[in-house]
Amino acid sequence: MLGLIGVLLSFISIVIAGFFAGFIGSVTGLGGGTVLVPLLTLFFGVPIILATGASLISTIATSAGSASAFTKRKIANIKIGIGLEMATTIGAVVGSFTLYFIDKANLLWVIFVLFGTVLLFSLVPTIKRSLVELPKQIPPDRSSEIFQLKGQYYDPRLKRVVDYCGVRWYYGEFVMFFAGFISGLLGIGSGALKVMGMDWAMNLPMKVTTTTSNFMIGITAATGSSIYWKLGYIQPFIASATAIGVVLGSYFGAKLLMRLTNKEIRWLFFTILSFLGWAMIFRGISNSSYISISYILQNLYSVFLSIILISIAYYWLKRSRGAARNEKMG
Amino acid sequence: MKKWDSDIVTSIILRIGVVLSVAFILTGLGLLLVRNGSDGYTLQQISDFTSNQVTSSSLLPGNIFYGILRLDGLYFISMGLWTLIFTPVTVVFVALFDFVREGNGRYVLMSAIVLTTLLFAIFIL
Repeated sequence: MLGLIGVLLSFISIVIAGFFAGFIGSVTGLGGGTVLVPLLTLFFGVPIILATGASLISTIATSAGSASAFTKRKIANIKIGIGLEMATTIGAVVGSFTLYFIDKANLLWVIFVLFGTVLLFSLVPTIKRSLVELPKQIPPDRSSEIFQLKGQYYDPRLKRVVDYCGVRWYYGEFVMFFAGFISGLLGIGSGALKVMGMDWAMNLPMKVTTTTSNFMIGITAATGSSIYWKLGYIQPFIASATAIGVVLGSYFGAKLLMRLTNKEIRWLFFTILSFLGWAMIFRGISNSSYISISYILQNLYSVFLSIILISIAYYWLKRSRGAARNEKMG
Repeated sequence: MKKWDSDIVTSIILRIGVVLSVAFILTGLGLLLVRNGSDGYTLQQISDFTSNQVTSSSLLPGNIFYGILRLDGLYFISMGLWTLIFTPVTVVFVALFDFVREGNGRYVLMSAIVLTTLLFAIFIL
């Protein structure tokens, strides 16, 4: 009986970690996996390979949950998403097998460092997102026509139908390969990279970019998960707990997001994410057996670096937003 | 005939996928607890998340059907997780079907490539 309660408690504790991950992931737009893997490895002692497995398969659930709402409202562009999935699915296959070889070579500390680095870099477009509304129009190019990148959606905030036309499809596809690769390698949705591909390369509006990325994440993660399954990276007990937790967390996160947009509280979440990023890097370095740093110092360094980093980002954003406002008035 | 709207169909499929999967997972968890283990493993072994004693490599997808007939908790959970994996596959299939109906040859080809990669990853790799 006591054992039964222990098992139930450990299940619930992972569900809570998943909830937390899903919540922060959806409030910041980074997706659950980016938070889940650090939480499981740093605080629950889950081996990183099983953490990536649980994370990747849970990512499908969150993607499906939120994409369901966005496809219904016709904001996500399924056509563009499917076209770009050619590169992400192949990238995911390559990424999953790369993880396998890194695992076999006993170099898993590299995954920690890479994970932290990717997390920190993902913060850049995530923080910047609050700046831009609609992209500057760029005249359609050859790829716009070949790959039918025109579309429209209704924006409730602007109260009008927004017409858009994507460009530079080939660049987009190129970035997407790496998005898929990172997804398979680190067990995350890599939404930040997908957003970059559609925003920077293809010049699509942010609303279309984020929702389409959300839709795509499920397809990419399904590819990686099925390979992970055969490699034995999915521990059913952890994966089922995280799937449930992440789904609940991102559901509540999305509900709250409506009220949280551009509010200062988001900076708290950015700081947490930055902390997790640095902590992963330090844990990786420490696991590499080149340098050994105690857990306490790892955490202290991470807190310190996060506060500096986020303060800089905060003031930089304040200034550039002020500059943008002055420009509009002048 | 009512107009077929692939956006709505996709939205419904995604939702059904998640709900079904969660239902399988919760049933599986309940069975694990009630039957105190599954597939020859004890509950302690299954719930030990710091080691990899019980992972997906021992849960062959081909055994899921019989596992479910035996009311085996781990196979119910497996079924839930595979339902998740197959949800996006269904979505791509719907998109492919839609492009065929539209006569959009280029996108028929592209979605076929995506579907092939997915099925290749699931069944062959």
